[in-house]
Amino acid sequence: MVADLRVELCGIPLRTPLIPAAGTLSRETLGEAADAYGAVLPKTVTPGPRRGNPPPRVAEVASGMVNSIGLQNPGLEGFLRELGGYEVGLPVFVSVAGDTVEEFSGLCARLASEPRVSAVELNLSCPNVEHGGLTFCAGPESVERVVAACRAALPGTPLFAKLASEGVRENSLAAEGTGADALTLVNTIPALTVDPHRREVFLKGGLSGPAIKPVALRSVYEVARLVEVPVIGCGGIASGTDVAEFMLAGAAAVQVGSSSFVREPGDILSELSGYLQGAGLSAAALTGSLRDRERVV
Amino acid sequence: MKLHTAEVLHREAFGDHVLLRYRSDAPGGPPEPGQFVSVRPGGSTALDPFLSRPFFVHDSEGTTTSLLFEVRGRGTALLAEASELSVSGPLGRGFTVGGDGPALLLGGGVWVAPLKLLSRSLSRLGVEHEVFLEAPASAPAAYGSWLSGNYPGAELVPTGGAPDASRQVLDRAGDLSRYSAVYVSGGREMLVAAREAAAGRVPAQLAVRERMACASGACYGCAVPVWSGGVRGHARACVEGPVFRGEALAW
Repeated sequence: MVADLRVELCGIPLRTPLIPAAGTLSRETLGEAADAYGAVLPKTVTPGPRRGNPPPRVAEVASGMVNSIGLQNPGLEGFLRELGGYEVGLPVFVSVAGDTVEEFSGLCARLASEPRVSAVELNLSCPNVEHGGLTFCAGPESVERVVAACRAALPGTPLFAKLASEGVRENSLAAEGTGADALTLVNTIPALTVDPHRREVFLKGGLSGPAIKPVALRSVYEVARLVEVPVIGCGGIASGTDVAEFMLAGAAAVQVGSSSFVREPGDILSELSGYLQGAGLSAAALTGSLRDRERVV
Repeated sequence: MKLHTAEVLHREAFGDHVLLRYRSDAPGGPPEPGQFVSVRPGGSTALDPFLSRPFFVHDSEGTTTSLLFEVRGRGTALLAEASELSVSGPLGRGFTVGGDGPALLLGGGVWVAPLKLLSRSLSRLGVEHEVFLEAPASAPAAYGSWLSGNYPGAELVPTGGAPDASRQVLDRAGDLSRYSAVYVSGGREMLVAAREAAAGRVPAQLAVRERMACASGACYGCAVPVWSGGVRGHARACVEGPVFRGEALAW
């Protein structure tokens, strides 16, 4: 018997709860991993092309990595020309980022007329760009401004807001209140690595990988109890039981990010399937089914 | 990221330089010279160290592949001791091999690694070539002997770790216009020096080394500054490289 892995997200049926986290899916090797995913989510797109940050861009740390890519991408029109490369029979979710509210809403307006796009995720929390990025997550007022403008520009397509762990409760309520259909929690966490031999900063960027899993899990756990809209868990998910933990804590689906660099997503899905069989549950039934425990405060 | 299990067959250490030969039944054709594999210790799903390590393919014969790398930290130390590996690859774009010859191969540091397979490929095609390798002062004598034996006909240039080591190796090769192609794999200084010396005279192909995370084109972590249509941009060493034409690099 195979476990029922299907879930639904904002009315979109997903054949598995796994989604690639923005910036971790390779178009070149998409075919190898597509079987594991319920949707495709390419790297964040900005209005114009971006060259990204100069190297170095990645550093390994204990159980994770720090990255500072700087949203290198071909810009919206370039991306749309390449969109066919992401069509593998799965819903396509598009992650967008702008420097201003107007850029965000402009991206949404353009994608509103694109039938191949099933949902748009607002990257409100990239720690690696000088303008925009995390500043949109600075507080509920700025979250409200962006989400409201994007909602107006994209009336008929599911809209996700990807938020940082810091201030996640207030920002989640703000995003939900202004029309986000789902919340992706959480983005990478601002981090620093230092080269002690050169006595220099090596990399200022965002921390990802198993190191951030407990932080992400807590964000999902708290926000899922606070909002009505679905939560998409993201942060350090590297195994089938990690997926189960996020779904138990309230996630309707999850994003697998940097761990897909070191494990095959298909193996993570097999582990989830094994867990579900053992528990006698479907993936959809797992969401929010965490038992209450008195000692949790 | 497709990972394949590989069994380590042979290990040799020369100080911090390690030669590892493994067997893998992974599907796919033989590696091209200049391609790399991304490797982590096998037999475990432990994620610390988190990332796999990219190494140039040193040599390949049938189902066996050998790697030459330097132990720099815990990740490479664990790989040096592993009896089983998880391997992804061969990956990336390697050297374009061919031409009339003679070709020049320049290598420095542990990045001499891909020149072995390249030299064998050139020999198979009947392309005459000369090989000059920097002999590092820090490595034990056994490494020098191994280099001599493993790169037959190569000239080892003892540089003593001088700041202009790359220039010394290049000077030994002499006038580059004698060659039909130049292939370089070394430290950044050697790549830059060779690119400048070859510019406008002979096509140069440079194997770059960058820190990598995904090694599959997803993360854009291994950015290399390049010229693209007259505009400065970043290419990914893992899919657009690791071998670049000299004039394409915007260093």
